[in-house]
Amino acid sequence: MPDDTGFNAIRKGLLEFVVLKIIGSHSVYVPDILRRLAETEFATQEGTLYPLLSRLRREALVDYEWRESDVGPPRKYYRLTQAGESRLSSFDGYWQHIDQTIAKLGR
Amino acid sequence: MQRVLTVSLNLNAYQIEADAYAQLEAYLAAATRKLDDNPDRAEILRDLEQAIADRCKQGMRKDQSVISLAELEPALAAIGEVDGATQGASSIQAQGSKSDHDALQQVSENAYISGVCAGLARSAKIDVTLVRVIAVVLLFISNGAMIALYLALMLLIPYAPLNPDAAPLRTLPRRCRELVTALRAKLKALTG
Repeated sequence: MPDDTGFNAIRKGLLEFVVLKIIGSHSVYVPDILRRLAETEFATQEGTLYPLLSRLRREALVDYEWRESDVGPPRKYYRLTQAGESRLSSFDGYWQHIDQTIAKLGR
Repeated sequence: MQRVLTVSLNLNAYQIEADAYAQLEAYLAAATRKLDDNPDRAEILRDLEQAIADRCKQGMRKDQSVISLAELEPALAAIGEVDGATQGASSIQAQGSKSDHDALQQVSENAYISGVCAGLARSAKIDVTLVRVIAVVLLFISNGAMIALYLALMLLIPYAPLNPDAAPLRTLPRRCRELVTALRAKLKALTG
């Protein structure tokens, strides 16, 4: 992994979309999300993820359902809503656009 | 020997040693403070309580029934401090533009002269044409008082920030904005 010191704000700003991307593939619960992120530069913790997921749900981008668990109480499984899907695809487009803009600006 | 307390984490009872309890209480109190203005505070706290319970359980031996600092400390470290500032860029922007629209400001983008009418219309949520018609009628029946009133409002009402996505300003609104901004700066220099 390249040196990422100094790019904190970028990672922080992108976390929301990275989380949408992970949820996008199939319905997941928080330990899944943490595990997928742990191997990347977006590694995060419950203390950050739960407030983020709550906000995404308030903005109707994600939703969750309860599923029984073998150990302990039922778990929340998150999935994208229609609005979440379209936010994710517009993010993909926007990301490509930014990428091209940066490339055009030179060097 | 440690005293043991019983706590409820996400509506399940757990036994916890007294020193671990003190730390848990401090963590949750800090989390509650950080989420003070978060509408989902209660739900996030329940999620966190469950995460703490799960992680402590994972750390416990099979024959162990009480949570001690040995399980709690790594659990809290793994969960991390609560990020109270996870309001996304979109919601920050939405809040910003909402308050902008309530406040009385001159709007240069839609202006004929300086943006007083456009600003009044925006903050009163009425059609700008109606405001302009009233202003023109007053101009004719007020023996010039309307001109003085317009100039006074133009000097007093702050300008709304320019919208970077909009087309460049027309000449007169741009001139008015520059003139008034310069006047205000001079006035400030004189008084302050």
